[in-house]
Amino acid sequence: MQGIILFTVLASTYLMVIAKRMPALIRGFRFQSFCLFALTLIMAFSEHRLDLYIIAVLLFVLKVSLIPHFLYRTIRRIRANENLGLFINPQLSLIWAMAFTYLSWIFAARLAVFGQAILIGVMAIAFFIILAGMFLMMSRMSALAQIIGLLVMENGLFMLASTVSGGMPFFVEIAIFFDVFMSVLIMGIFVFRINKLFTHIDVNKLSRLKG
Amino acid sequence: MLDLLPKHIFLSDPLSLFFLFVIFIVSLPSAIYSFGYLKGEYPLKKIILSWFLLAIFILSMAAVVTAGNVLVFLVAWEMMSLASYFLVVFDTTHERSIKAGTIYVVMTQIGAAFLIAAFMIMYSYARSFDLFALKNACLAMPAQTKNIIFVSLLIGFGTKAGIVPLHIWLPYAHPQAPSHISSIMSGVMIKTAIYGIIRFVMFILGVSAAWWGVLVLILAVISCLVGVIYALMEHDIKKLLAYHSVENIGIILLGVGLAMFFTSQGLPYLAVFSLMAGLYHLVNHAIFKGLLFLCAGSVYKATGTRDIEKLGGLIKTMPYTAAYFLLGAMAISALPPLNGFVSEWLTLQAFFLGALNVIGGTKLFLGFCAVMLALTSGLAAACFVKAFGITFLAGPRSHYAKEAKEVSLSMKAGMFFLSLLTIVFGLAATMIIRYLTRAAGSAMDIDISHMQFSLNNITLNPQAGKSIYLSPPLLALVLLVLGITGLVIFCAWRRKRSVRHNTWDCGYYRLDARNEYTATAFSKPFRIAFSFFLLPYRKTQKIRESFYHVRSFTYETHTIQVFKKYLYDPVLVLVFRSAKSMRRLQPGSIHLYLMYIFITIILLIVFMRWF
Amino acid sequence: MNKILLLTLQLAFFITVAPLLSGLITKIKNNIRMREGQSVFQPYYNLVKLFSKSEVISGTASWIFRSAPFVVFSSTLTAALLIPVFIFTSPAHTMGDLLAMVFIFALGRFFLALAALDTGSSFGGMGSSREMFISSLVEPALCMVIFAVSLQFGSTDISTFSGAHAISVSSIVAALALFLVSIAETSRIPVDNQETHLELTMVHEAMVLEYSGRPLALIEMASYIKQMVFFFLIAQIVFPICLPSYENLAQAFSWASWYCVRIILISIAAALVEVAVAKMRLLRVADFLEFAFVLGVIACVCAIVGV
Repeated sequence: MQGIILFTVLASTYLMVIAKRMPALIRGFRFQSFCLFALTLIMAFSEHRLDLYIIAVLLFVLKVSLIPHFLYRTIRRIRANENLGLFINPQLSLIWAMAFTYLSWIFAARLAVFGQAILIGVMAIAFFIILAGMFLMMSRMSALAQIIGLLVMENGLFMLASTVSGGMPFFVEIAIFFDVFMSVLIMGIFVFRINKLFTHIDVNKLSRLKG
Repeated sequence: MLDLLPKHIFLSDPLSLFFLFVIFIVSLPSAIYSFGYLKGEYPLKKIILSWFLLAIFILSMAAVVTAGNVLVFLVAWEMMSLASYFLVVFDTTHERSIKAGTIYVVMTQIGAAFLIAAFMIMYSYARSFDLFALKNACLAMPAQTKNIIFVSLLIGFGTKAGIVPLHIWLPYAHPQAPSHISSIMSGVMIKTAIYGIIRFVMFILGVSAAWWGVLVLILAVISCLVGVIYALMEHDIKKLLAYHSVENIGIILLGVGLAMFFTSQGLPYLAVFSLMAGLYHLVNHAIFKGLLFLCAGSVYKATGTRDIEKLGGLIKTMPYTAAYFLLGAMAISALPPLNGFVSEWLTLQAFFLGALNVIGGTKLFLGFCAVMLALTSGLAAACFVKAFGITFLAGPRSHYAKEAKEVSLSMKAGMFFLSLLTIVFGLAATMIIRYLTRAAGSAMDIDISHMQFSLNNITLNPQAGKSIYLSPPLLALVLLVLGITGLVIFCAWRRKRSVRHNTWDCGYYRLDARNEYTATAFSKPFRIAFSFFLLPYRKTQKIRESFYHVRSFTYETHTIQVFKKYLYDPVLVLVFRSAKSMRRLQPGSIHLYLMYIFITIILLIVFMRWF
Repeated sequence: MNKILLLTLQLAFFITVAPLLSGLITKIKNNIRMREGQSVFQPYYNLVKLFSKSEVISGTASWIFRSAPFVVFSSTLTAALLIPVFIFTSPAHTMGDLLAMVFIFALGRFFLALAALDTGSSFGGMGSSREMFISSLVEPALCMVIFAVSLQFGSTDISTFSGAHAISVSSIVAALALFLVSIAETSRIPVDNQETHLELTMVHEAMVLEYSGRPLALIEMASYIKQMVFFFLIAQIVFPICLPSYENLAQAFSWASWYCVRIILISIAAALVEVAVAKMRLLRVADFLEFAFVLGVIACVCAIVGV
């Protein structure tokens, strides 16, 4: 079961990497978050831990429903071009993504030499998600892509923490959730302001602001 | 463990108290002076701001010389630098102020970086920031480390003190501040660096190699000569004084370096004597340089210009300022019986006595240093003949000088206090030496109870055992008595009337201020004699009506600032060029910045094996 | 009381004899040039003449100009007091040493240079500038000489020089250097020329150009005394002299005559140099003094080696 879900996470990340438009990206993110939610729920179920249940619920509330909803709303409100604006086209992105997958797998294998195969897999995927999030932030022009990239990275971190080390301390986890949520709100507002000022949310064009 | 609550936050040994005293005697008259000086020059709000900054400045200097903990020292040091920076750029209307301030702050921070490096190395041995803990740790330090620390400390403090070639900021920053601040900066602030050298190199680190002293001596000699030669070429009166600060720091360092040298040679008597001479010159320089800067400020306030070529004849309109300036000029030129004479005599004597106690070629080296000091003092006298003569004597050379008025009472009071001190510190030398010997002894941890220095009989070396005498009060008395005798002879003769007439004009009918000798002309022999260093060049331009008749003729002469052109400018160019190429890395694109991080991470992952 | 008497005696000695020395040099000089020349007492006549004339003071001059002659006069006499003339140690020897003497001379020179600038005449400025230039170059040479002497005798106290010692190479070379320095200090050829008032060459004369009457007499007097002080110093350094203890009059007399002979010898040397050498260009003076400096260094090395 876990294997399937892990594979789905991987797939959703690939989907995000090749997405060309914002709604697709958000959908990908929502899907990924949902998979994580499922993963956490299974873990909570098998280990009978209350804090994991709470985290799972929070995950669902924040990352699966609230944040994607908020992002959708932002897109609609600013009526911006829905294209992400790619520095690297989807095909090339996919190749890059595969390279990252391979790299993170080697990395994970080297880190956890004596671990179980599943542990290595989980670590590899988590690393890959972090890298992919960063790749998204880097290679997409739109400011919203940056937000989602950050969220993806956070997902990767969450996965790494929860699977490899059995989860971070409870309060830390909660705090991170709220942090992420707040930062998304703030960034959303910023995106809104940027759009209002410059009539676009293309971060690349912000370089004109420098002295 | 890092002890955040140290045992000795503040020190109160004779050395620190001595420096506190120096700070006090210059800051007090300068503060009094500032009442009259700032009035009418700036709006009230700015005056209050300047007093606030002045208070911080003085307090931080006091904290620097009493700090018993390196952290306290560093914080006070930085506060001192910052407060003085704000005072340098106080005249924000001038672009020159901003430039001067920038040079100052950059140099001072470079110096601070070296200091911090030195302190960190010391800390890594002592595991404490307490000065006495550091002192203990330094006993067990390898010689190589000590050398590194010494060089860092020398660069760090040397930047603040204005040792050549780190003096570059000094002639920009000191003149640009308001005059009472210049007086404190030149009089006291650069002395805190000397304090640092004495405290950290001699007291804490302990002189371990002979070349330390030799290096300091060589730098000091260079500072002396470069300072005074540039001062001779300078016609901005405050800049001239700033260059003299470089020179005098050199003289002070001659004493300090000599003390370091003698310590390493195992001659404690001479070491204490030399350091005492250095400290004596330090307090003297504080007094007369403070005085001279205040006088220069008065001249600036009264005339509105600092260019001495435009001045002249001020002795008639500003008799008090002229008299005070004359006293300061005499003191800095080491004329008896004022204070500068006593301390320069002591420094020279330290060389002479030292030469009797070392062997072989070292004698000659000490002799050379002494000779260079003599040359410096001769050049300084020439420079102050120029500074005083062109500024105050003869007729006014421009309307600036014509309309000058004597300055207000509070300014005169500040100058009077310091000019009194130049006399007192000359005449009361015996007493002062006794106290300074104690300060020098505590600075080097040498027991001085069996050492007796008195000016009337200095016998240092048991080998030679011959006494040397100097008695400033007696000298002053004899000078005075003989002067009066001369006057009596002068008057006793049948009185003849004296006629006032124009200066002899060679039959030319209209001699005016344009025919007077100028500062440029005065310094011309020096300019030519030192042309190998000053690299002077001139621009002349003739506007002719015909071949035979030149209607106007302009003549400009300049010197090249060797250190600026051949040392600092190339470095600056290099820095700017590399900054320009670094700029390409920073185009302002968030994506690119993200990519840097990303590539770093990838590389880290790929090359994990090697890290 | 005894001391003060002795000091007064020494002052009187310097004041009365110094012009004679100057007259003597002029006389020797003239005789070498195959001229009859003026009387050796001519400087006295000059002084008396100047003292009885009224003075003219420039309208632009200030109190610096008026006070400078007195400062010059008193500082030169003070320096003269440091020299042991009649007894082994000068009665005023606790006042200072040889180094102090250099600074005392600097005091007078400083004021004279200021006074020269005070009148606003370009001649004065020229003289002042040149004088300070020369004197600042004299200083290192002089200091080197003093250093060599102090290395040899173990002190800069002047009375130690007059103690008995054998003639050494070091002291001869040092005295030679001091002689060159004294030429520059007393403004003689080849550094300066006392005899002309040509604006291209004059240094000292340019400084005192505006002085007349009694102040000029004081300044002239001071320069005579300065010259004498230097000659005495040279005599003390180069010749092994043992000043008398006044036990018997005959010894004292023989000593005094020896002293006179030495001074006259030095005067002849000064006169010879002045006749034989041409005046140097101002900037060449630097080379001249550098030579004196090198001689000082040689004296120093000799003292270190011990010859």
